[in-house]
Amino acid sequence: MTLSPTPLTPEIVSHEGNSMVLSMGPQHPSTHGVLQVLLEIEGESIVKADPEIGYLHTGIEKSAENLFWSQAQTVIERMDYLAPESNALCYVLAVEQLLGITERIPTRAQVIRVLFAELTRIASHCVWLGTHCLDMGALSVFFYAFDLRENILDLQEAAGGARMHPNYMRVGGVNGDLPDGFLAKLDALIEKFPGRMRDLRGLLQANPIFQDRTIGIAHLSPDEALAWGVTGPSLRASGVPYDVRRAFPYCGYETYAFDVPTRTDGDAYARFCVRLEEMEQAHRVLEQVRARLDAPGPVMIDDTKVAAPPKETIALSMEALIHHFKIVSEGFRVPPGDVYQAVESPRGELGYYVVSDGGNRPYRVRTRPPSLYNLQALKGVAPGNLIADLVVTIGSLDPVFGEVDR
Amino acid sequence: MATITGGAIDPPSLRPPIADATIERVEPAQLHARLEALRADGYTMLLDLGAADYPLRTPRFDVVYHLLKLSPNARTVADVGTPQRLRILCGVEVSDPHLPTVTDLWKAADWAEREVFDLFGIVFDGHPDLRRIQMPHSWEGHPLRKDYPLRGPARERSPRPPFALKSNVPAGTPPSGETLAALQEQRKKK
Repeated sequence: MTLSPTPLTPEIVSHEGNSMVLSMGPQHPSTHGVLQVLLEIEGESIVKADPEIGYLHTGIEKSAENLFWSQAQTVIERMDYLAPESNALCYVLAVEQLLGITERIPTRAQVIRVLFAELTRIASHCVWLGTHCLDMGALSVFFYAFDLRENILDLQEAAGGARMHPNYMRVGGVNGDLPDGFLAKLDALIEKFPGRMRDLRGLLQANPIFQDRTIGIAHLSPDEALAWGVTGPSLRASGVPYDVRRAFPYCGYETYAFDVPTRTDGDAYARFCVRLEEMEQAHRVLEQVRARLDAPGPVMIDDTKVAAPPKETIALSMEALIHHFKIVSEGFRVPPGDVYQAVESPRGELGYYVVSDGGNRPYRVRTRPPSLYNLQALKGVAPGNLIADLVVTIGSLDPVFGEVDR
Repeated sequence: MATITGGAIDPPSLRPPIADATIERVEPAQLHARLEALRADGYTMLLDLGAADYPLRTPRFDVVYHLLKLSPNARTVADVGTPQRLRILCGVEVSDPHLPTVTDLWKAADWAEREVFDLFGIVFDGHPDLRRIQMPHSWEGHPLRKDYPLRGPARERSPRPPFALKSNVPAGTPPSGETLAALQEQRKKK
């Protein structure tokens, strides 16, 4: 097999007049990974943009079909590597629906899931903010944002054992209760957050250079946004307050008080404002989660067909040993059927269409990656802007290529 | 590792009662008309377009559309409420893997249809630019089909030079100088 270079799109090749074709990426630093954009330009203005993806395709959906239900979660977490807990949560919820155990998940496990879903939202937005501003030449924001993210990664490491991909969500609950000292670290983060947000806002919100670069750039109307399938902060910045946490609540989100921030301008600055406010709302949810974490309780479902029995019982009970052996050696089986489950990931509606044939491996895991649909809108958004603004446009749509290419 | 397959030939027909979406099965001939009617009915967003392969079933493939009834004029969370989610399943025969495109109804279908074409080999008639999207353009086969091997097609190994084969050299043989000569030969070529 030989790899041939990307053939140019027919429309872009047959350009006329004064335009020329420019290939931006896939090694361009502001493409946040590996994105190639074929641009037809007239002077500095973009006439047509055609993003080329697939450079990071790793066949995660195919791999998942060949792993146990619980093993598949580890590769699925690696799709959106900036918000691994959102991916894992969505997959786990889908499998639980097929198993019919959604109602039996312990309350404390639900609270811990919300905790990590919101932590990962803040962490992901921190990366977005840092790199977005780096693209525009503002270096200091990066340090402030990544410092905050580092605190969150510490929490992930404490709970799951790994900074980036803790694999902490499990079908049936979460993997073990929060460790000693975790709550003190969480308290410190909750206390630190408002001051850090003030710093970030102070650096950017009223900054004339930042406003010049973002206001009126990459405008997306509500109709256009819906037609392109744009979700998440980018859709809400265009004025449609669609948030999966409110529209199709999961993990008890209906019991938390938080607002769905929106803007109507639909430009890069509006998306910036929406994401910053989302971080503050996530902080609000964290405070409510913290209050509920004082109540002790089980964090894993009491069902040995799905979850391995506690380690202490294995030495004492033959039955527990057998269940443990079964779960480890051949996993659990899921009744046949299909289900679509969505969660609000930091990038928008993340959905999994999961099919089971009754076996111990997923039959099909189709992902609805929010980044793919958001990035696709670049074709509609980029024309008419300058090349320098394309960098801002890509940044404001916040794609993650692990998820776009999977 | 133990291989346990459930063996269900048509899983979507066996689904437990889960209230995740309204489900509708449409024949390929009626697909475009039905989706056009739904688009006019207020299903403004094509959430997702994917596919699944059931090799033992007729028709073999399911193309899965998820639609959301969301108004672009909704301005509050209460306006949005719980929008209706609709799943359209459309069976496609492997002997005639063709469906009409819906890129004229939702722009979002563009990349999604390219992906299904790339990974399943289902052709969307009327798509403006149907090329592979995830796999390299010269790739052969459609990786997400169930009969496609996990590690891809078998490829020939590049042959090893004779001096590199350990079986040619019994233990205790003094150096013949061949290896050194071959290395020097290689270096000269560079």
